[in-house]
Amino acid sequence: MKQKPTTLAMVLAGGRVDELNVLTYYRPKSAVPFGGFARVIDFPLSNLMNSGLEQVAILSQFRSFSLINHIGSGAAWDMIGRYRGISILPPSTGHASSNWYRGSADSVYQNIDFIRYHNPDCVLILSGDHIYHMNYQALIDYHKDKDADLTMACLPVPMTAAHRFGVADIDDEDGAVGGRVWRYKEKPQQAKFNWASMTVFCFKPEALLKTLTDNAQEDTSFEFGKDIIPRMLADQRRVYGYKFDGYWGYTRTIEEYWQTSMDLLGPQPKIDLERWGLRTNLEHRDIRDYQPLKIGDHGTIRDSLVYNGCVIEGTVERSVLFPGVHIKPGAVVRDSVLFFNNQVQAGARLTKVVSDVNSSFGEDAVVGANESSSEQEVTVLGWDNHIPKGTVIGSDCTIYPHLRPEKFGRTIKNGEIIR
Amino acid sequence: MNPISKTLVLLLAGGVGSRLNILVQSRAKPAVPFGGLYRIIDFSLSNVMNSGLTQVGVLTQYKPLSLMNHLGNGAAWDLAGRSRGIKILPPRTGSKNSDWYKGTADAVRQNIDFIKAHPSQEILILSGDHIYHMDFDQMIQAHRQKKADITIGMMVVPKEDIHQFGAGITNDEGRIVEWEEKPKVARTDLASMGIYVFDSNYLLALLNENREEVDFGMHLIPKAISRDNVYAYRFNDYWRDVGTVQAYWQANMDILHEGSGISPEAWGIRPNVEASGRMADRCPARFGAKALVSNSMISSGCEINGEVINSILSPGVVVGEGAVIRDSVLIDDCQIGEGALIDLVIMDKRVRVGRHAVVGSGDKRTVNVAHPSHLYTGITLLGKGAQVPDGAVVGRNCIVNPGRLPHDFPSLHVGSGMTV
Repeated sequence: MKQKPTTLAMVLAGGRVDELNVLTYYRPKSAVPFGGFARVIDFPLSNLMNSGLEQVAILSQFRSFSLINHIGSGAAWDMIGRYRGISILPPSTGHASSNWYRGSADSVYQNIDFIRYHNPDCVLILSGDHIYHMNYQALIDYHKDKDADLTMACLPVPMTAAHRFGVADIDDEDGAVGGRVWRYKEKPQQAKFNWASMTVFCFKPEALLKTLTDNAQEDTSFEFGKDIIPRMLADQRRVYGYKFDGYWGYTRTIEEYWQTSMDLLGPQPKIDLERWGLRTNLEHRDIRDYQPLKIGDHGTIRDSLVYNGCVIEGTVERSVLFPGVHIKPGAVVRDSVLFFNNQVQAGARLTKVVSDVNSSFGEDAVVGANESSSEQEVTVLGWDNHIPKGTVIGSDCTIYPHLRPEKFGRTIKNGEIIR
Repeated sequence: MNPISKTLVLLLAGGVGSRLNILVQSRAKPAVPFGGLYRIIDFSLSNVMNSGLTQVGVLTQYKPLSLMNHLGNGAAWDLAGRSRGIKILPPRTGSKNSDWYKGTADAVRQNIDFIKAHPSQEILILSGDHIYHMDFDQMIQAHRQKKADITIGMMVVPKEDIHQFGAGITNDEGRIVEWEEKPKVARTDLASMGIYVFDSNYLLALLNENREEVDFGMHLIPKAISRDNVYAYRFNDYWRDVGTVQAYWQANMDILHEGSGISPEAWGIRPNVEASGRMADRCPARFGAKALVSNSMISSGCEINGEVINSILSPGVVVGEGAVIRDSVLIDDCQIGEGALIDLVIMDKRVRVGRHAVVGSGDKRTVNVAHPSHLYTGITLLGKGAQVPDGAVVGRNCIVNPGRLPHDFPSLHVGSGMTV
């Protein structure tokens, strides 16, 4: 018989990532579109659903509207019912003072009442920012098996990349499954170990509450990686690493976002949405109301993902198209990711472009990398830009959201930033 | 604020639609999949939603399970809420006897308690069988303006088709003065679409007159015309009764052609994405490096590695490398093996076609032997879950019954007009 859930999941979804800049101008990182119909946060939410964990809180602070809209009732992930639910927990004013979340750990600390109310056996804290497929139940089982205070999911990264992550030194207590964490460094300049934390933490509630409280009272920084894990190690708590060997999409730069999107393509894609059981909320942006994808007499689509509601009359290669994208005759879109409702007019050519929602490309506009040039960086457009007819925009350009058409000179050179 | 609608909707969804052959073997006609993501009844229900109507009874009789499953709680058509609702009304036993619905009017008569439980000013009676887009609110306004007892949705059809319909002759004011049900000799080209607005009290009284009168078109409408106020409401846009295999195929193909007048998205037609087929679980359509697609509609969850021309694919269809699909309608989760050739075929759910098999080849004029009136234009039908063996050749106007497996095929060659 199914009983009241014993695990409470909390998803950290408040962050904005500076390097993703124009894509996170009006939304948190977790609400960035990904995969031709979904949002980044759908990956952890689908993982939770597929792991049978359906009591979830979402901690959100930065421009939460898009996220709140996306989560809806939670029914999309089956998180509505007697013991199933998603609560969105924004910052709130207390008796004494009004506090914004001062960091990831502080956002959980400010919701200690919520944790006490649910009284779980373990608290699973996740980042809403990453693209991966994981059965959290296996992590929780390992955590309980080890009677750990904290079990963190980690995966090996090249030593040269370790400075970008929080890295742990995990021993071989349980071989390839996991082991005890003895040392941990947040973004070390000279890494000595390379098990990167995926920001998937399973806590014993009393250990979590005690450490959060100490942190809140004694420290000036309030982050899980930088503050909470070192504090638990200093307190000689039982910290374990759970070794993950699957795909992990870390999308903190535009180039990484683009590469991760390309990992959806090909005959054996690294990201297999079907097998991963990804679900999104089809009520959001009324995705459900679109008719099937329509391909005209002269349309061509190769090696691409295209969702319902697109109309393809031109050529699409190695690209990911979200609902409502129209590609007119003679237009060519290659190596690109076009978010909801982009319009590409006749004869326009897009190469290695990431374009946010509601943008349009005028007739014969040429945007992005030039095949004959060595410059092959991604050009990114913020939402609601209307590129005039015939405009030429180079590679590695950044176009801020919602600019007036006068902002686009005849030619925008490689690497230019238009704001 | 929108006032609560004063019109109650009754949707007649009991029709067998037997000319759709094996497509209706396990489901009622309104539940037949259509246009990739939809079912036929989605058109009527979306029209109801888009007209601002909020209370619906669905009268079912024939194989209602698939339909009930599809309707769910009605939330897909915004029919769940404080003043909103959709109820399935199957036949049931009364205090005296157990009665199947004996006709359209009889079905409504047996649900008088439902009508009384939802007090209304008008009752809109629709069929769940048709593909069209119509604003019922305008029709109801016209009904009120004329102070009519009954208003009937009518459209002009070719005179040679009038024998399939109820036919009305109107005077200058739009009042119907004469009525012929399925006339053999055409005297008018104005046909009933099976859409009626009744004054609620008038309908209750009319139904009460004579229990032997079981059909609207045959009994009640002619009687009402002879003595009461019955008006025609003219409709001039796309409307199809997709009751035959040929009409079903043609209406699907119409979606592919600009200017044909049918556009589910522009019409605001909504499927139930949570019902069976579960569009909710489907990822974007995936196109391989060798995919070639033209003039087609492809739904989410499809995987295209071959060639698709002039066809409609429902969610989850997988097309192998080198396979060619032409002028066909493929319903959910069909799998087409490498190098297979599919021409002028309707496939129900989960059909599997083996590698290098050919379905639809030969003379289109060789009609189906068992059902010559169903399949005579070249279309071949593959039933739910059928599996065509590797290398098989299936002709025109053929039927492969649901669930047939490779060993059920008498030989690898199924001639035109044959049934497996």
